Amino acid sequence: MRDYVISPPTQPAIPVVGGGWFPVRRIFCIGQNYLADVKELIGDHVKETEDEAKKAIPVVFTKPADSICLGGNIPLPLATDNLHYEGELVVAMKDGGTNLSPSAAEEMIYGFAVGCDLTRRDLQEVAKELSGPWDMAKAIDNGAVVGGVMPEKEFWALEEARLMLSVNNDVKQEEDLKAMIKPVWNIISDISRYFEIKAGDLIFTGTPSGVGQLVPGDKVRIGINDLAPVEFWISEQ
Amino acid sequence: MTDFVFVPSPQPAVPVVGGGLFPVRRIFCVGKNYADHVKEMGGDPKNVPPVFFTKPADAVHTGGQFNFPLATDNLHYEGEMVVALKSGGTHIPEAEATGHIFGYAAGCDLTRRDLQAAAKEKGGPWDTAKALDDGAAVGPITPVADVGVLDKGSISLSVNGETRQQSDLSLMIWSLPEIIARLSGLFALKAGDLIYTGTPEGVGPLVVGDTCRIEVAGLAPLDFQVFERKG
Repeated sequence: MRDYVISPPTQPAIPVVGGGWFPVRRIFCIGQNYLADVKELIGDHVKETEDEAKKAIPVVFTKPADSICLGGNIPLPLATDNLHYEGELVVAMKDGGTNLSPSAAEEMIYGFAVGCDLTRRDLQEVAKELSGPWDMAKAIDNGAVVGGVMPEKEFWALEEARLMLSVNNDVKQEEDLKAMIKPVWNIISDISRYFEIKAGDLIFTGTPSGVGQLVPGDKVRIGINDLAPVEFWISEQ
Repeated sequence: MTDFVFVPSPQPAVPVVGGGLFPVRRIFCVGKNYADHVKEMGGDPKNVPPVFFTKPADAVHTGGQFNFPLATDNLHYEGEMVVALKSGGTHIPEAEATGHIFGYAAGCDLTRRDLQAAAKEKGGPWDTAKALDDGAAVGPITPVADVGVLDKGSISLSVNGETRQQSDLSLMIWSLPEIIARLSGLFALKAGDLIYTGTPEGVGPLVVGDTCRIEVAGLAPLDFQVFERKG
């Protein structure tokens, strides 16, 4: 037992479908991985073709490991008037390394989950305008909502899968995962050029078009085929 | 005991002067926080609210051998005072802020400046520049009981024995109570959090072979050497 001067934090973990817990080390997120979403966020200024987007330096940001939230009640985060949902496929890693090839990266996947990147969009707009960091918008408490992890061998239908996010039973996001600009193994490979990937890492793989605001009382449901769905609702602070 | 499907990563921790380890939960950092440059340019340093960014908890590096990071041709040092919290909360009033401090340490925010420049140009996230592996160097933590509240004192950084940064904690734009109060309006602060309080003028590059020392107001210094990365 190590001699800590204060109690250490609890190890963040998410349940595994079929039993056990996946201990979370880091959370990486990819921006702009569906072309329609890129257009939505930058409006009329679309210059990237799909080919250019594939070659570009990936937009990588992070969330704290203990910002994971398994769903249920989420109080409206501090300091925002414009909380947004972003439904995503999440990849969970069982191994890692640096400068991984896409095929090596594929071997290191533990499983998949449904997730929601919660974002203080108002603070993200300020950050973009001032060329500042995104952390105040993205690294928020409870900001990495994620459902149970399904081990990879039980979820082989990735290419035919479809993400659907609804708010109060209205469908807001609906897209085939094959519409991703970069497939998941390329995303992992890209991230491993900048950071050493390790067991316990979660990767949020970007959101399709249809992002929007959440207010207290809203109930969100996200599903991707037979992965464990995520359900949460927003309450007052 | 939780039934983990594999062994979790070790709890990141920083040694405490006098014994024991401080377990790290999160790492918050303050952007520009020393006034000299802003003032000489005729600006009002308090016109703009402080900017905060984060590093992963397991990016802590407690000195000694530091491997040159991946994916950069321009690694920069930023010498800083680091504050360790023993408790926290949200919307902490300035008057109560220092009561949450466990102690202080000398630290270095290592930055891939080339990637930060690219991020700024596009209005993109800073994480590839700031959240790098081993990018939160920090010396041993001195408990507040031993040093009192630090609101003044020298901060300096040297590379290969040559002073590159030299300032005083009293020149921070945002004081420690102001930083803790504002940060707690954005995030719930908790025991185990480290706050990097910003760097003074004089930041610059580090290359393989460099030795770097950061000294802050008589705290235990932080020393590290940059090694070539293998693999």
